[in-house]
Amino acid sequence: MTLVDLCNLLINGTIEGLLIALPALALTLVMGVARFPNAATGDYMTVAAYAGIGVQAWGAASIFLAGLGAIAAGAAISIIFYLWVFRALRGRAPVASLVASIGVAFFARSMLTLFVGHDQQTFNLPLVRAWNFGGVRLLPTDLYVAALALIAMALLFALLHLTPIGRQMRAIADNPDLARACGIRSGRVLLSLWAVVGALCALGGMMFGVKAVVSPELGWELLIPAFAAMILGGIGSPIGAVVGAVLLGIASELSVPFVGPSYKIAVAFLLLLLVLLLRPRGLFGKAILSR
Amino acid sequence: MIAYLIAVGIIALIYMLLTIGLNLQYGYTGLINFGVVAFFAIGAYTSALLTLGGWPLVPAFVVAIIVAAIVAYPIGLLSLRLSDDYLAVVTLGFSEVVRLAIQQERWLTHGVQGLPGIPRMFLSLGIGDYAELATLAVLVLCNLAAIGLMLHLVRSPYGRLIQAIRDDEVAVEAIGKDPRRLKVQVFMLGSGLAGLAGAFYAHFITYLSPDQFLPLVTFYVWIAMIIGGTGRTTGAVAGSLILMVFLEGSRFARDWIPSVSEVQMASVRLALVGLALILFTIYRPQGMMGSRR
Repeated sequence: MTLVDLCNLLINGTIEGLLIALPALALTLVMGVARFPNAATGDYMTVAAYAGIGVQAWGAASIFLAGLGAIAAGAAISIIFYLWVFRALRGRAPVASLVASIGVAFFARSMLTLFVGHDQQTFNLPLVRAWNFGGVRLLPTDLYVAALALIAMALLFALLHLTPIGRQMRAIADNPDLARACGIRSGRVLLSLWAVVGALCALGGMMFGVKAVVSPELGWELLIPAFAAMILGGIGSPIGAVVGAVLLGIASELSVPFVGPSYKIAVAFLLLLLVLLLRPRGLFGKAILSR
Repeated sequence: MIAYLIAVGIIALIYMLLTIGLNLQYGYTGLINFGVVAFFAIGAYTSALLTLGGWPLVPAFVVAIIVAAIVAYPIGLLSLRLSDDYLAVVTLGFSEVVRLAIQQERWLTHGVQGLPGIPRMFLSLGIGDYAELATLAVLVLCNLAAIGLMLHLVRSPYGRLIQAIRDDEVAVEAIGKDPRRLKVQVFMLGSGLAGLAGAFYAHFITYLSPDQFLPLVTFYVWIAMIIGGTGRTTGAVAGSLILMVFLEGSRFARDWIPSVSEVQMASVRLALVGLALILFTIYRPQGMMGSRR
């Protein structure tokens, strides 16, 4: 492997990692505040990506309109399932919400395939050539996607740390009883949380769709990598999810020359196992976890 | 018609074995196994490859059980260090990795082309159509044995202990018992049962390919367990029968509504499985048969 190859793998891995960071953030937010691993995260991505395709098919050629449509759809589906399913399961053991979230994943995906079919779709984008810096290739699309992911993360961190609603979210994540005692109305906070989660999933799904194709399994296949990123970074830690995702992206790209591209999920899984064995609280996790 | 009923019965009994195994792991002990299909696949491929390599059926079945249980050992060990939700994620990931490995390792499994010509059970006896009836009978016996074992286990001190792990692990430790060893044993036992179910499946269907081992299978088993009521052996029996009526019934539903294509029907089936998981966890967590605790 030459230095140029290495650079290419590092760049691809970083970009892939920045995209995985979006669903990983969605997972970690739900884990921190609502306290269960949301297995429907991937399928929110899929549904939102198809919504983006739908906006384009209706005649709006602009990719930005498609993105807005995807975000609206992602937030909507996330809120709908919160109101219908996860709100009813608050106060029950996390496993109830976990099993229900599998049900939500299947239900959302099958409703999608029932009405739009199983065909792969692509976003309508102008074809661009990769920039070539002496062998190190960079697709402008990848650069835009990575920049957008970074902007989205910056907005999320601003929301969490600079706004009242973000402070309330963190308060509930930290100690729900104390938060309630302080007069934080958790209903409103949770609604905004799920809207943010849906928007993050939508952006992730949209960007994976832009980079490759949109298929009904798009999100489900990213679920294990997103879980791995979340656990690697430390559950409930947003910055950890981002760092974990980028590390995971780079690790799985670097493994490609050795094990081939089809074993990416397996690499993510192995990394997940290693973290759980060596440092179960992840890179940025708190020392004491109630679980 | 009789042949069809026998075939449906065989599949139902295979699911029943899987459900009894999962019920032991989750229903009694509280281990969230989202990777049932992995052990099912391992059992199926082990027995299929051995018999295609010239082994007789019975030792191949035994090895299938043992291999599935041995593979479960490290994952069971891992579960000691993890809380429930982590185990769910790890087992789900494991089942996807197993499917991926079956897809990729063509030298062993023929990948997506699949493994055809797996010998049927009781073929060498030359009893023709009665071979399937005999398979059904053996499956009934295996299920009865598994049910008997479970009923015995639940009433034994061992059974009380594993249920205590589910309810309060710290209390089990406090009375000087080691919940870790018990958890690993339960995980291996349930997975061995899944391996046995896989071996039966391989020699009944006679053709294996990776797309038969999607995570959906795992959640069929979960649905069967939840419908019947978790932590009840009779529930596992009833749940897997109800599941089979639903899966087969949805096939006939297409005769009444001919405008629905098979692909759409698959979507509807998946939607109903999802809906059942949602509605049962919200409204009837104790299952169809259980009473509210």
